[in-house]
Amino acid sequence: MKGLLKSMGVTLSAFTRKPVTREYPETHKQLPERDRAFPILLWDHGMNEPFCTGCHACERACPVECMTVLMKDNPNHKSQGGESSRRKIIDKFWIDYGRCMRCNICVEVCNFDAIAMNNTWQGHEKSVYDRSDLVQELPQLLAVHRSGELKPWVVP
Amino acid sequence: MNNELFGKDINVWIDAFIRVNIITIMMTVVVMGLIYLERKAIARFQMRLGPTRTGPMGLLQSVADALKLVAKEDVRPRNADPWIFELAPYFVFVPVFLMFVAIPFAVSWEVRVLDLGLFYVLAVSSVNIVGWVMAGWGSDNRYAMLGALRAAAQSISYELPLVLSMIAIAMVANSLNLSEIVAGQGRIPNIILQPLPFVIFYIAMLAELNRTPFDIPVGESEMVGGPYVEYSGIRWSFFFLAEYASLFILALLASAVFLGGWAWPLGEDWGRWWQFILTGVKAGAMIFSVFWVRSTLPRLRIDQLMTFSWKVLLPLSFIQIMVNGAILVYEPEKEVGQTLLGVTSVFGVFFLAWIINRSVTRPRPRPVVAARGEAVP
Repeated sequence: MKGLLKSMGVTLSAFTRKPVTREYPETHKQLPERDRAFPILLWDHGMNEPFCTGCHACERACPVECMTVLMKDNPNHKSQGGESSRRKIIDKFWIDYGRCMRCNICVEVCNFDAIAMNNTWQGHEKSVYDRSDLVQELPQLLAVHRSGELKPWVVP
Repeated sequence: MNNELFGKDINVWIDAFIRVNIITIMMTVVVMGLIYLERKAIARFQMRLGPTRTGPMGLLQSVADALKLVAKEDVRPRNADPWIFELAPYFVFVPVFLMFVAIPFAVSWEVRVLDLGLFYVLAVSSVNIVGWVMAGWGSDNRYAMLGALRAAAQSISYELPLVLSMIAIAMVANSLNLSEIVAGQGRIPNIILQPLPFVIFYIAMLAELNRTPFDIPVGESEMVGGPYVEYSGIRWSFFFLAEYASLFILALLASAVFLGGWAWPLGEDWGRWWQFILTGVKAGAMIFSVFWVRSTLPRLRIDQLMTFSWKVLLPLSFIQIMVNGAILVYEPEKEVGQTLLGVTSVFGVFFLAWIINRSVTRPRPRPVVAARGEAVP
């Protein structure tokens, strides 16, 4: 009898508490700052070009081979009359987010701190109707850091 | 052949038509509201939100469900008995609507004033067992048959304590007319004079409604829905309509008979709207407590259920009737009689609590004794 009344009390106290449900598409929980969504490329705001030199280190290290990198000569290099000290720079970069398993290896092997894991909600919400839409091109990969939405811990 | 409705004289047939329509429309709307409220309340008991997507705060969820059920295909199994299968939902659902006739909401606001109102309500409420058994038999399904037999056993067993607790009240109120019972409670509602019949009525009501501690017939986790396994679409929704409508009506009945209905407190002085609010609040409290019990207690076993009805509730309600008779036969003065009734009934409640306590407390482990009488190590 005491147990019955006690259990009724427990449920009543649960009734008065606030529901723990978050209505996901409307409210986004604050992500932890070391959250690892998909990898993105970083933008050198001082030089106004990507940090990435197209060295293929991440492409070779990627265990699921989701990256494709093409390198070119930097038109903004000092020898060409520009200001940058980067002799080579990234030409084209594809990452297939459908393959990526978010292992963080590309970030660890990068010699130029040019790639980082996206820690914003955009990094998680990647639903599409066609798998080929998950292949990201260079402007898309650069956009998040370029617009300043990335939270600062990854910024070198 | 004219009758009075809303202060005007109108033809009997039009009058009947209007009254029937009021019942039907009101019951449907109330049932939809109750389903929404139950989902919200159970969600809050589990710290969830409940329906939020359809309409503002999910208010249109029941409407969406109703539309879905109407639009669904009405499947009948090939081996089912066509007549019995198709008619069963009506046998469950019409008696519930008939019960509504005698329930008073406010002074002279009931569909019909019946001198045997209490008797009528209880008599009609037990008809829907027929519908359950028909559903179970007609479906040609083992689970449905098992559920129907369980439903019949449970409903018949708990019908008796329900009716007998009502007889105790009728003895105290000296009437079977629901309006007179409500008006006769005056300053002291019957729950104070007769707490034991209230507790018995409440438990039996849960069993009659097949609500959670007693939901053995429909037990979703073991019988996949009991008698209505084979039903779909609109026929299935009739069963649910009947279930929630009878929840509403039994809550109204409890509020009228035990909690003073529209009369207590101050209902007779403050006008009709206050009376409606009083009835609604009392019925709402009853309904909320049913949801609360549902979200808390686990299901009983079938033998526990039967034992509880036949060995505990039934003898206790008989004892209450005998005690009431022994007190009332001497026609004591009003205060003395009320005190005696209240005190004896409170003792009965404690006795019931002691019995429940004794049965739910785990029995003391006895030493296991071998066949020759030597203790087993």
